Amino acid sequence: MIDENNAIEVRNVSKHFKVYYDKGSQLKERVLFRKRNAYENRLVLNDISFSIKKGEAVGLVGKNGCGKSTTLKLLTKIIYPNSGTIEMCGRVSSLIELGAGFHPDMSGRENIYTNAAIFGLTKREIDARLDDIIAFSELEKFIDNPVRTYSSGMYMRLAFSVAINVNADILLIDEILAVGDANFQAKCFNKLREIKAEGTTIVIVSHSLGQIEQICDRSIWIKDGKIQMEGAPKDVHLEYLDYMNTERMELAEREKTRREAEGSEAAKKKKRYGSMDCKFTDIKLLDANGNEQKTFRTGEAMKLDLHYECHKKVTDAVFGFGIFRSDGLWCYGTNTRIDHKDNFDIERDGSYEVDLKELMLIPGEYWIDVTIEYGEGNPVDYYKEALRFEVVSKVSDVGVVRIPHEWTLNL
Amino acid sequence: MIKEFKEIYAYRQMIFSLVKKDLRGRYKGSVLGFMWTFVNPLLQLCVYTLVFSIIMRQNIEKYYLFLFVALIPWMFFSSALTSGSISILNQKDMVKKIYFPREVMPIADTTSNFVNMLFCFVVIFAVLLVSGWGVNLYACLALPVIMIVEYIICLGIALLTSALTVYFRDLQYILGIIAMAWQYVTPVMYSSERVPEELLPLWNLNPMTPVIEAYRSVLYYKTFPELNTLLSAFVLGVIVLVLGIIVFNKLEKGFAEEF
Repeated sequence: MIDENNAIEVRNVSKHFKVYYDKGSQLKERVLFRKRNAYENRLVLNDISFSIKKGEAVGLVGKNGCGKSTTLKLLTKIIYPNSGTIEMCGRVSSLIELGAGFHPDMSGRENIYTNAAIFGLTKREIDARLDDIIAFSELEKFIDNPVRTYSSGMYMRLAFSVAINVNADILLIDEILAVGDANFQAKCFNKLREIKAEGTTIVIVSHSLGQIEQICDRSIWIKDGKIQMEGAPKDVHLEYLDYMNTERMELAEREKTRREAEGSEAAKKKKRYGSMDCKFTDIKLLDANGNEQKTFRTGEAMKLDLHYECHKKVTDAVFGFGIFRSDGLWCYGTNTRIDHKDNFDIERDGSYEVDLKELMLIPGEYWIDVTIEYGEGNPVDYYKEALRFEVVSKVSDVGVVRIPHEWTLNL
Repeated sequence: MIKEFKEIYAYRQMIFSLVKKDLRGRYKGSVLGFMWTFVNPLLQLCVYTLVFSIIMRQNIEKYYLFLFVALIPWMFFSSALTSGSISILNQKDMVKKIYFPREVMPIADTTSNFVNMLFCFVVIFAVLLVSGWGVNLYACLALPVIMIVEYIICLGIALLTSALTVYFRDLQYILGIIAMAWQYVTPVMYSSERVPEELLPLWNLNPMTPVIEAYRSVLYYKTFPELNTLLSAFVLGVIVLVLGIIVFNKLEKGFAEEF
C-alpha cells in the first residue's frame, strides 16, 4: 500500500514499446509477409522506482527520448507499465494535452463544461469554479463566442485556465509554460506557485531547467530509461549540463573529423593569407586545467595555445587574435601592438599563449582568427577561422557578452 | 470493480456532456436541426406505410404499426452495435492524450442512442393515438423495464465490440453486415409465429427476440408482456454485459498504444 505521506509511488516500473519494422495489419500482409511483422522491443523505462511526497514539486529532466514523457504518460494512466506498479493518491489533473475534447462550434462557456467534465468534475463543481476559470483566462468578452473564432493563444489560455482550476491533488505538466504571451506566462507561473503553496503535488517535465529550479524542490534526471541522479535541482542540473556538454563535445569532435576529411587542402588555404615566412603549426584551446577543450561555460577561463614554425626572419612582428560569433559578428580582437607589448622579431620556431581569464561570452558558437603580422598589419600568417568553440551556460541572459552585475532591490 | 464503478460515477458529467454534444451535433448545420430527430422516424413510417399497404400487402392488420413499434427499438440496438463499436476508435485523439475511464465512451454512445430512441417514442405514441389504434396505459407500465433490459444488452455489446474494434479494425465493417443479418433473425418484420418449431431453442438464444416481442405486445397488441421471456432476456443481457466489462477491462490498457 501507498505510504500516507506519499502522493505518488512508482515501483520497479519498466515499459517497452513494440517498434515494427514494417507493420502490415491486413490479413494478406500478415499471411504473405510474415517476416515483415518482425519488431523490436524498445525498452524506454528500465526498472524505475521513485516516490513523491504530498505537496512536493518534482522536475523530470533528461535529453530527448530518455523516457521522461513516457513516465508522465504512465502517471496519467494513458498507458500502462509492462511490469511494476504505480500508485497515486488523489485527483490527478494533467497539463499535457491542453484543450483535448474542445468542440469548435460550441461556445467558450460550454467548452469549459465539457473540458472540465473530462477531468472528472461534476456540474456543481464546475459551476463553483466557472467564474475563476473565466477570470483567469481573461476571455470575459469572448466567452459566449464559439471556440473556432478564437485565436490559438486564446484557445490555449482557456484550456490552461480549465486545467489549472480543477483543484487537483496531483498536477502533471509537460512543457506547458509556453502558453500565451509573456504576461500570461508570468500569470501561469504565479498560479503554479500558488497551487504549490496550497499543497498540490506537482510533477513537471521540461527542458527549461530554470523553470524547474524556480518551482521544484527536487529534480530527477532520467538517462536511458534509468534514474541517473536525483536531488536538489541545482545540483542535478549542473551534473546534467555537464553530461550534455561532454556529449556535445563528442559530437562536435566527430563533426570536426568529418569536416576535415571533406575539406581539401585548397579549401584550407583559402582561409590563410600572408607570406607564410612564419606559419602556425599546432593551435589549441585549453581549459583551466590545461586540457584541450571545445566547449566552455560563460565565465570560465580559456587559454589559446599557439605554436608556429619560422622559415625566414620576420622583423617587427605582431601576434593577434579575434573572436567572432558564428554569424560573423566580431566580438573581440586585439594584438600585441594594441596591448603595448615591446616590438620583437621572430627568428626561430616558438609559441605564444593567450590567457583569457574570464570568457564572458553569451552561449553560442564562435570561431577564432589567429594572426602573425609585421609592421602595420601586413599578414605573415593570417589564419581565418582557425578554431571553433562553443559557449554554454545555464543562465539564459541575452546579448553578446555577460556584463558582470549585481541587483539591489529597494522594495 | 467497485472502485471502477465509483470512478465512472464520478465522470457522469462527462457522459452527460458527451451525450448532449452528440444529440445536438447529430443534425448540426441542417435547416431542421434537432427537429430531424422526430422528422426522420416519421418519414420512415410514411415510406413503410406506402410500401406495405400498397405494394407488398401483408395479412397483418395495420402492418405499418406492427412494423414501426418494433423497428424503432430495433434501430436503437443496431445503431448501438454499429456506432458503439467505433466509439473508442472515433475518439482516439482523446484516448491518446488524456486520461478518463475508457468505459465512458461506449456508455455515452449507447446512452445517446437510447435517448434518441426515447424521442422516437414520442412519435410512436403520437402515431398510435392519431391513427386511432390507441394505447393501453396499464401495459405501458412495462415499457421502462423493457427499455432497461434492452439498454443493458446494448451496453454489453458496445463495450465488447468497441474494445475489440481497436485491435481488429475490420470488425466495424463486419458488424454492419451482422446487424443486417441479425434483423432478419429477429422478429422485427414478421411475427415469431412463423418461426419453425424445431428452430425455436436456437431462436430463444437471441436476446433481442423477447425484447422486440415485449415492445410489440405492449404497443401493438396492447397487452402486458410475458414476464418469463423478458426475464430470460434480462439474464442474457446481464451475461453479455458482464462479458463486455471483462473483455473491456482486459483490453483497455493497451488502447493508447494501438493508435
